[in-house]
Amino acid sequence: MVGAHPVETGPALVRITVLQVPGADEPVFSSVAQGVRHEDSGHTNLTRADTALALGQIGAQVEILPACDVQQCVELAGRFEMDLVILDRCDPATVTAFFECGVPPGAPVVVVIPAEASESAALDAFRHGAADCVRVGHDYSEVLALVAMEQIRRWRQIRDRDAAQTKIHWLESLNEAIVSEIPVALAVLDDARSVVEVNPEFQRAFGLSSEHVRGVHVQSALPKDLIESGNLLQLLPPPGLALPEGSRLARMVDAQGRGSVFDVRSQRLDGEGHILLALSNVTQTESLSRRLGELERFNEFVVRSINSALMVVDREAKITFANPPAGRILGCPEGGLRGQRVEEYFSSAGELPSPLARALEDGTDSKGGEMMLSLADGTVIPIGISCSPLREESWDVQGAVVIFQDLSEIKELQRQVLQQEKMASIGQLAAGIAHEINNPVGFIHANLAQMREYLDDLSEYLDAVGDLQRAIPPGAAPEIQQAASALEETAGRIEVDYLRKDFASALRESLEGSERIRHIVSDLRDFSHQGGLATTLADVNQCVDSTANIVWTMMKHSVELKKDYQVLPELRCHPMQLKQVFMNLLVNAYQAIEESIEEGSDEGGVIEISTRHRGGGIEVAIRDTGAGIAEENLPRIFDPFFTTKEVGAGTGLGLSTSYGIVKKHGGEMTATSEPGGGARFEIFLPLEREPLREASPIDGSDEPITE
Amino acid sequence: MMNLLIVDDDAGILSALKRSLRREGWNILLADSAREALRIVDKGAVDLVLSDHKMPGMTGTELLAEVARRRPETVRLLITGWAEAVSKQELKEIGIEALIPKPWDDAELKAVLHQHLG
Repeated sequence: MVGAHPVETGPALVRITVLQVPGADEPVFSSVAQGVRHEDSGHTNLTRADTALALGQIGAQVEILPACDVQQCVELAGRFEMDLVILDRCDPATVTAFFECGVPPGAPVVVVIPAEASESAALDAFRHGAADCVRVGHDYSEVLALVAMEQIRRWRQIRDRDAAQTKIHWLESLNEAIVSEIPVALAVLDDARSVVEVNPEFQRAFGLSSEHVRGVHVQSALPKDLIESGNLLQLLPPPGLALPEGSRLARMVDAQGRGSVFDVRSQRLDGEGHILLALSNVTQTESLSRRLGELERFNEFVVRSINSALMVVDREAKITFANPPAGRILGCPEGGLRGQRVEEYFSSAGELPSPLARALEDGTDSKGGEMMLSLADGTVIPIGISCSPLREESWDVQGAVVIFQDLSEIKELQRQVLQQEKMASIGQLAAGIAHEINNPVGFIHANLAQMREYLDDLSEYLDAVGDLQRAIPPGAAPEIQQAASALEETAGRIEVDYLRKDFASALRESLEGSERIRHIVSDLRDFSHQGGLATTLADVNQCVDSTANIVWTMMKHSVELKKDYQVLPELRCHPMQLKQVFMNLLVNAYQAIEESIEEGSDEGGVIEISTRHRGGGIEVAIRDTGAGIAEENLPRIFDPFFTTKEVGAGTGLGLSTSYGIVKKHGGEMTATSEPGGGARFEIFLPLEREPLREASPIDGSDEPITE
Repeated sequence: MMNLLIVDDDAGILSALKRSLRREGWNILLADSAREALRIVDKGAVDLVLSDHKMPGMTGTELLAEVARRRPETVRLLITGWAEAVSKQELKEIGIEALIPKPWDDAELKAVLHQHLG
């Protein structure tokens, strides 16, 4: 580094040392010209009047430091920065002594030579190094003033030039130091954008020596990828156009495959089109800030994109973060959860869910648990829950991360699949039984019909036998008489008249019975007939009726079934699923009636089924005279897991499953009830609507059930 | 006299059908398997085959298809408890004239048979 400091330019004040050795012959004047200030140097002698007068004419403020011997003079000259040293009429020995003292180079020395001195005195003075000599004469003051002014002017010029040079030198050194030490690659470009000079960092950064790069166009001097990625040519517009402000980020990959990022700026240097290009390597800063940004984005994306609810809880079980799904499930906007005690929104029967409690207590990690969660509004939903402790650097637990999902829908779907599978296997079983019964019923029925014909024939024959018996005259042959009485005896014994009549009754009743079996078999077959995954056109009346007939077999002792069917257009639907809905409703109705009978109602119940074609759809209503639904339960009867039945008596899924099926058909299901007055369920199924979701995981196979 | 062959693996069905049709003026032949039925058909003079569908070894449609190949002039009827098991397409391909449900109605059955036997 540069050690020198710039030299101050000369003060406005002119400072002059005047050496005069007082002589006995000459008086010392104390008069001082205007503008001249005498510095008290501790000596009593002052400057001669004519000299002071001359110096007063210099035109600037003059400070005179008088000296009365060589030593004092040299001292003063060394101590202060002098503009001029005047040796005023000193004897030659003093002059010689002064110059021989080795006065440091500095202010010019003007020697005033007494008028009476020899001619050689001036020569001697010049020889010693005087800048000028003035001989005392009549115009002494004017001459000294002129000489002093000229010497001071010259000296100041020299001094200013030296100072400027020193400053330039200092600036150059500073510049050089900066340029060579600064960790920024610098290149000076000329107006043709060729490289004029580069600094060592440039050479290091791009592996080029300044000799190689000098005169080369900047496009060839810098790596191609760097120029392109940073669009660097825009930083170097043609001469005359303004340079863009700010900086560019440019990237390059070196031969070793290491990537670097540079912050590049350009700066106009002069009017000749020189431009300074500064390239700072910001790879590390850039990569750190990019990494930070990536991490922030990553976190944000993860938290945003997971469908699961995510909640962060602190050591005091207060919620510090909750994502939108958490707010949705817990019934609170996400901002509203922050700062809340977790168990107010997230509890298991009023207590902190145990996986979370364990995570906070001893840092236990739990994954994939299932539990019932009590929500703030009292609803209970099944959730899947994973809890992990959140640890400080010291590994102390500072909170926990809870991830949970609302499993209601999944559970309901599982339930539906199970139910469908159950129904499908019941259906298959029923179909198999129906088929097995079909054959014997077929021939029993055919035979009974045949036997009725036979009986008619036999009756005709018996009538003829009776006629024959009555035609026997009293005087007939004894064999004939005997045979006739034996016939009469047999007829009486077997009660042939009753037998004939009852045979007909028995056959009629058997035919009726076999007819009923045929209907049951037919209903079973209809009921279990699978629609498969695809929807089919079906008669809803037939769906309701076959289901009602099946269910009625178990309820006929306590329930009267009233049917009121209107002719309906065919509906595109999943018939098996609709039958499941009707079955759920009918069984519920039956159970409600049973319940009211148990409570002491001695009348049997009535279930009314009606179907109507109205409002672009089909309406099926099922009304019962059972116990009814309590008013407070009405809004919740379609919720999964809601049940009023005793534990174990029902899963509470029938109505929600039914509701789901009706919804899937684009329909509506409503319930009305007066406690004690029975319940009425209405299902509306639109005829025209969006196609059904065909790819439901429900139902069995699409194959027809083979014989 | 028209010869009518009834095929069913259930003896109860066979005798009930024979009973039903006894007085219709046809000669009723019975077979309790498709194999037996084909043997009777091969002897010739069978005007109509009324076959059950689900039978061990060979189904009714397979039997009727074979009958159609051997004796195309024979009238072919299928009697089954599960009409859905046989597609209309299949019936058409084999040339089955009618499909009678089980359990059958005597009057209907007789009407169909009379229609096909003239």
